[in-house]
Parts: sequence; structure tokens; C-alpha cells
Amino acid sequence: MFTNLTKLDLKDKPSLAEAGSPKLCMKALPGEGAERSCAYDGARVVLMPITDAAHLVHGPIACAGNSWDNRGARSSGSQLYRRGLTTDLLENDVIYGGELKLKEAILEIAAKHQPKAIFVYATCVSALIGDDMSKICAEAEAELPIPVIPVNAPGFLGDKNIGNRIAGEVLFERVIGSGDVSAEKIPLSINLIGEYNIAGDLWGILPDLKNLGITLQTAITGDAKFDDLRSAHRACLNVLICSKSLTNLVRKMEIRYGIPFIEGSFYGIHDTSATLIAIAKALQDPDLLVRTQAYVQKRERETRAIIAHHKKRLENKQAILFTGGVKTWSMVSTLAELGINILAGGTQNSTPEDFQRMKELMDPTAQIIEDTSSAGFLKIIAEKKPDLIVAGGKTKYLAHKTRTPFLDINHGRKLPYAGYEGMVTFAESLTRTVFSPVWGYLRAEFPPVGG
Amino acid sequence: MMNARSYQGNPQKNSPALGATLAFLGVNGLLALLHGSQGCSSFIRLQLSRHFREPIPLNSTALLEDSAIFGGWEYLKKGIAVAADKYKPQIIGVMSTGLTETFGDDMVSALSSLRSERTDLLDLPVVLASTPDYIGSMQEGYQRTVESLLTTLTANSEIAEEVSGSSKAEEDSKARGQSESLPAVVLLPGCHLTPGDVDELKEIVSLFGFQAITIPDLSISLDGHAELEAAPLVQGGTLLEDFRRLAKCRACFSFGLSMEKAGDFLKRTYGIPHTNFPSLTGLAAADSFILTLARLTGRPIPEKVLRQRDRLLDTLVDFHDQLGKLRVAVALEMDLLYSLSSCLAEVGAEITLALAASPAGIHRLSLPVPIEVGDLEALEEGAQTSTLIIANSNGRQAADMLKKPHLRAGLPVFDRVGYPQKCWIGYEGTQQFLFDTLNSQSK
Repeated sequence: MFTNLTKLDLKDKPSLAEAGSPKLCMKALPGEGAERSCAYDGARVVLMPITDAAHLVHGPIACAGNSWDNRGARSSGSQLYRRGLTTDLLENDVIYGGELKLKEAILEIAAKHQPKAIFVYATCVSALIGDDMSKICAEAEAELPIPVIPVNAPGFLGDKNIGNRIAGEVLFERVIGSGDVSAEKIPLSINLIGEYNIAGDLWGILPDLKNLGITLQTAITGDAKFDDLRSAHRACLNVLICSKSLTNLVRKMEIRYGIPFIEGSFYGIHDTSATLIAIAKALQDPDLLVRTQAYVQKRERETRAIIAHHKKRLENKQAILFTGGVKTWSMVSTLAELGINILAGGTQNSTPEDFQRMKELMDPTAQIIEDTSSAGFLKIIAEKKPDLIVAGGKTKYLAHKTRTPFLDINHGRKLPYAGYEGMVTFAESLTRTVFSPVWGYLRAEFPPVGG
Repeated sequence: MMNARSYQGNPQKNSPALGATLAFLGVNGLLALLHGSQGCSSFIRLQLSRHFREPIPLNSTALLEDSAIFGGWEYLKKGIAVAADKYKPQIIGVMSTGLTETFGDDMVSALSSLRSERTDLLDLPVVLASTPDYIGSMQEGYQRTVESLLTTLTANSEIAEEVSGSSKAEEDSKARGQSESLPAVVLLPGCHLTPGDVDELKEIVSLFGFQAITIPDLSISLDGHAELEAAPLVQGGTLLEDFRRLAKCRACFSFGLSMEKAGDFLKRTYGIPHTNFPSLTGLAAADSFILTLARLTGRPIPEKVLRQRDRLLDTLVDFHDQLGKLRVAVALEMDLLYSLSSCLAEVGAEITLALAASPAGIHRLSLPVPIEVGDLEALEEGAQTSTLIIANSNGRQAADMLKKPHLRAGLPVFDRVGYPQKCWIGYEGTQQFLFDTLNSQSK
């Protein structure tokens, strides 16, 4: 019943592990406190930003109830994707099966919410009780004018990465190229893969693309409309933003539709420019390349001028960086741009390639965080005493307890950090936390010694 | 209306395991271990963290595909052993999930099997709470966990007292500055009470000259204080020794109908007189609690409390007209739904819709309108003629769509600040709740 995944390529390359990468994407031990997530979470992260689709979770309340509408992926149009929809499997459903309920739910949601498509997510419980979700989705689809797409990534399959990959397979098999039969390429068009428009990140990149005359066919899947995704095969180039988890998708699109892909990042001045130039080169338009080179120079100059006073204040501050995916290495150069040194870096949900890239960019004396549990994280903060911590939201309140300035760079944040505009916002945010007056109050003894 | 649907749209339910986590987070030195896949614990951590703005220590047995075939029994044994070795907790609290309950993992036999292999773990208290995701909501998970905490941790209570006379626990509590001359009472707050509420509860009880043992005690663990360091174990909350002192308490008060069974357990097992208070919000509810305390002590009601009551009465008079105009749609977990709705009904407001997250207690609690079980899509459909919506932050979609003011209550509240610290109970908390309600009507 599960999507047959192509072998994970990292297994074929033992050399990277030997080159000193920690064991990434390895099984977490029961009780060790790894604090990762599950395959279902990975699948929803990739697919739920599709704005005009309904996302129905076939499971008990824990899977949707604790998590709906909790990510910062933003939409310029339909808000349907923010609706929490679940079959809410109850005791009797576990005993008698949830197939009938699921079919009814699909039909009712189609009638009430008029979605462009319905994605139906399997969960641990629906998989265990043996509900044939693919069959039910096919039956419902036959009665409806819209696609009903099963996403078979129950939580126990593994952690987030595997769910990301399954979501990529679903997009490839069921969405891309499914409605739009034209194979004609749209001139100078790209897909941004792994860009989820967190806090409006995508909107910080779009003006630059527009100024250069590059058309965004669709992001996969930030602020994406279902019909635009169906035509994603007509783009000239795939730009892979969130590194490896969707590599399978771009490889398959290359084979089936002849779309080449490049990797890039829009975090920081350096990476934004490098990515724009790489896009121009890959689109093989000499005029575009010349335009882009001049453009990025101008934008770099402007941006550096705006952030100069922040850099002056932040220079030589010592940071601990803890994140995942593309941000693993992209944040290293972003922080370096502001003159910030990295004392220690760690990652979750990153591939050995991402990790090696981070390591190469960091100072050789920087420490690699091996123990990614809260306990390990606290230990390294106590040892290193950094001036600031740059990490995901789930470590935010932990970091605050250590009385250390903290910046959230993951999905819970409210401000966009991508592109040149994002770099300015990022620098402002860093300055606000590092130089906030509150840290002094927290570190001061009370009552004062001898006072 | 809502029962006709085959799905939940914008659910207000939280999972029972989240309720279990909340209860465990009020017990000092405890390591909470969720028996399920890693997503189960990840979602709970995020949900509680964005509500309380605190790190949420919650470990997991990290089940994977092979457990779907062979069951999670071995994972549970390993999880308890690894967590005990790595983090050295005083107590381990385990809650189950839909996944492990569907396998039918027997947690009791896993624990006894582990103890026979690891005799060094014999003395480590392990509390097992059965909280399948497909039965009930946060309130039921919290309730069952409090019951498990009591049955497991008070187990040797009387015996310990008899054998050691002046026990170590007593010396410890003296060392903490608590005077043994104060009679002790047990407080069992339901999950509808915030850390701020629990704080107020302890304050009221101490005004009457009682020392309180509070189970669980979120007012000193999730109250959002700048502690010295964060840890993977619960810091603050009920002490393990306090569970063993329970048998000596003069009385037990439980708050919220969901806590009644836990209180009855203490009455049955230790002969402690028990009174349940389904609500502490509203004049009648607060009166009932205060009069009970006064009767128990034989003392007059403290001046401060009477003053607070007079202030509330004055507020009721000053704003009776505005209160009478309110038409309120409420969607919350049952105990909180009942507390806030009955308070509003008592002062002349009209409850237009009362939606509970789950059916717990539905046949015993009554409001002027029938209580229905429903999601926030049902709120959208049923709140059109209301002037106010009371729901957790997830009610924002309904409030935006209907263009109604939305007073946040319950959990999660992630788009307003200060909710864990807010107090809704007693005369003062009731007054503040009515102020918030009235202010929501100002343009």
C-alpha cells in the first residue's frame, strides 16, 4: 500500500559518514529524547501549503487536532488549506474500520468547501486497522469532479524526511502534468521547490524574479494553487530550495519532462545572488545573465549599505546555529555576512551533503553538535556561552531559560528572511534580540550582592 | 446539526495524550514518556509550547515500522530504561497513544518484565496512563492521568507513615518552611484551570489557614518563571513526598466534574472527606467554595475575601444592563464550557450555543441551552446571531468569518499573550472575566 520509494542515495555513499558526519536520519532510540517528528508530519509540511485544496487527515484527533493551522505558510488567495479537517477516528471506527466514514467525509467536504482537490492523509491508526485508503479515494473520485489523492505516509514509517519524500512522489504521480496536457515550455519560467512561503518568504523573492523577467510557474508548494502545480511540468527549470528531501521529485521531473534542476538558497546576500546567477545561467539566456549580474551587484550594494550599521554592532558576536535542511549551510554564510562567528553548529533532518557543506563553511574550530536532544543542546550552551542562538522555534523557550538572545529561523516565525529584503529583516531581528535591554536584568543578581 | 457530519472541521479537541502531558507537567522531577511515534510527542510539544511559551519536556518511545508488525512492547521497556539511565528522573510518567492502544500493548506487563530484568529500577515509580487518541479529548486524558498518579504514587502512603513515625518527608517539608501545625487539604484542579487559577486557589485556601497539597500543581511548573536552567525533567510541581503525605489530609477538594473520580478515590482509599466543585467561576460557584471552607474551619470568612465579593457585586449592579444584552456562543472543553457559560447565564447573559469538545459529563452538567458536542465548523454555523464567541485561538477562523468579537479561553491560546497567568476563578477572577467579556463588545 505504501509508495515504493527509490533507495535513499545517502546509503550508497558511505564515504560521507566516514568523513565525519554525525549519523543523520538514523533511527532515534526510545527514551533518548531525540525530539524529531514523524513521516505524516513530513508529508503535511510539503503538501498542506497548497492553498485551494482540502487536506483531510484520516486518523484519531492527535494527528490533526494538535497541529492544524500551526505553520506559518502564507497564502495570497484561498484560505481553505488552513482548515483543520479530520475523520476523527473513534473507538468504534478502530474496531469496525473507518472506510465508510472516510468516504462520507470526502463527499461532504467536497460539497461544503468546493476544493480544487482533496488530499487524504493516512495516519498510524488508519494504516494499522487496515483501511484501504487508495480504494476509498478512487471510489470518491469517481463520484466527484475533482482529484482525491491519497497520501500514504503514516507516522511510524520514519521521521520527517521520509514523509517529505513520499509527498514528493505524490506530487509527481498525481498532480504534476495531470490536468494540463500541453508540453510547451513557458519562457524563462522556474519552479521553486521546497519553498513553503513561511512568513511570506516567497514574497521577498518574487520582486527580484519579476525585475529580472523570470516567471515563477509555481512554488512547491508555498502559496501554490492546485492548477499551477498541475502545470509545473511546463517550467524550464527546477530550483531546489529546501535541499535534499525533494531531490527525487526533481530527478523524476528531469527524466519525464526534461526539466533540469539546480540547487540554491535565498537566505543571505551571498546565496541569494549566487542562486539568481545560477538560475540565469541554467535558463541559458545570455541577455538574462548579463542583466542578472548587473542586478545582483546593485542589490548587494544597496542591501549591504542598509545593513551596515547592524553589521557594525553584530560583528564578532559568537553564535550557536541549530537547524535543518538547506538552512544548515545557508545560515552559516548569512551569519558570516554580518561578521558573526559560529561556535558550534548542529542539524536535524539534514543529509550528509548538507552537513558537509555546513562544515566546510564553518571555522574548523567550530564544534559539531552531536546530541540533538534538549539535554545535549543545553549542555553545549552552558559550555560555549554564545552571544546568540539561531535555531528553530521548538528550542526558543529552552534558549530563553539560558538567558541567551535567540532568533527563530524555522516555520513558527512571523517575519520573512528570504532574499535581499529578508536579509535586512534578518539583520534587524538579530540586532533586536542581541541588544535587547532585558538580558541584563535577567543576568543581574537580586537582591544585589552586598546591596 | 454537528453529529450529522462524518468529519471534524476545525476541531477544538486536543488529544488525550496532550491532556496526560499537561497533568504530568505538574509533578516535580517527573520525566514524561509518550509511548507512540515521534510525531505524537512533537505535535504535543509544539502545541503546549506555543500556549505556555515554555519548553515542554516530553520524551518518546519513537516507534517505527517494525513496531507496527511486532508491537511496541519492547520499545516501551527500552524507552523506560534508556530514559531512566540517561536522565535519572524521580518518577517516569508514561502515556499511551492511538497507535499503541491499537496494537494492544500491555504497559503493565512491559513494566513488570523490565523490573524483573533491571532490579535496580524496582524503586523507580512509573505511572502508566492509558490515553488512546480515539477516546475523548484533553480533559479525559488529563483526568485519567491524575487518577493514575494518585493510585500509583500514594500506594504506600499509610504504611510509610506508620513505620517511620516522623518521616523524612515531614522533615523535608519542615525544611522547606511549611509548618506542620497547619492542617493540610488536597486540591485536585482540573485541566480547565490555568497556572494562574491554581495559584489563586492555593491563596484562597491559605487565607483560611490551610496548607495545600495540589495535584498536579501547574502553578509552580508552568507559570512561566525565569528559572535557573531548563531541564528534560519537570521542575516545580507536586513533590513525590507530598503524594505520600496525602493520607493525613483533613479534606479533599476537586475542581471540575472530571476530577470527581480522583477525589472519590482518595475518599474511598484513605477516608478523606471529598467535595467536588464543578465550577469556581461565577458568584454562586465561588460562594459554594468559600462557604465550604468557612464551615470546615469554623472561622469567619476572611475580610479580604468578603471585600472581593462586594467588589464583584458592585460590578454586577453597574453592568447588569450590558451583561443582559450579551448573546454568547461558547465552544470549549466540557469543564471550562460549563464554568464560563454558567457564570454568564447567572448574570443574565444569553448563551446561544454551548459546544463541548467531547461528551464527558454531558448528562450531569446543565446549562440553559442543551450542551452539544461539536467542532468549530459547528460554531461557524451556529454562532451567527451571537454577539460574542468564546473559544480557544483556533476559533479565530470562525470569528473572522462571522465578524464577531472573540474572547480567547481554554487551550491553545497562541495569538494572545498572558493566558497561562490569567485567573478566571473566585470573586476576583469572575470579576475580571466579566470585564473581559464586556470590553470585547466595545468598538
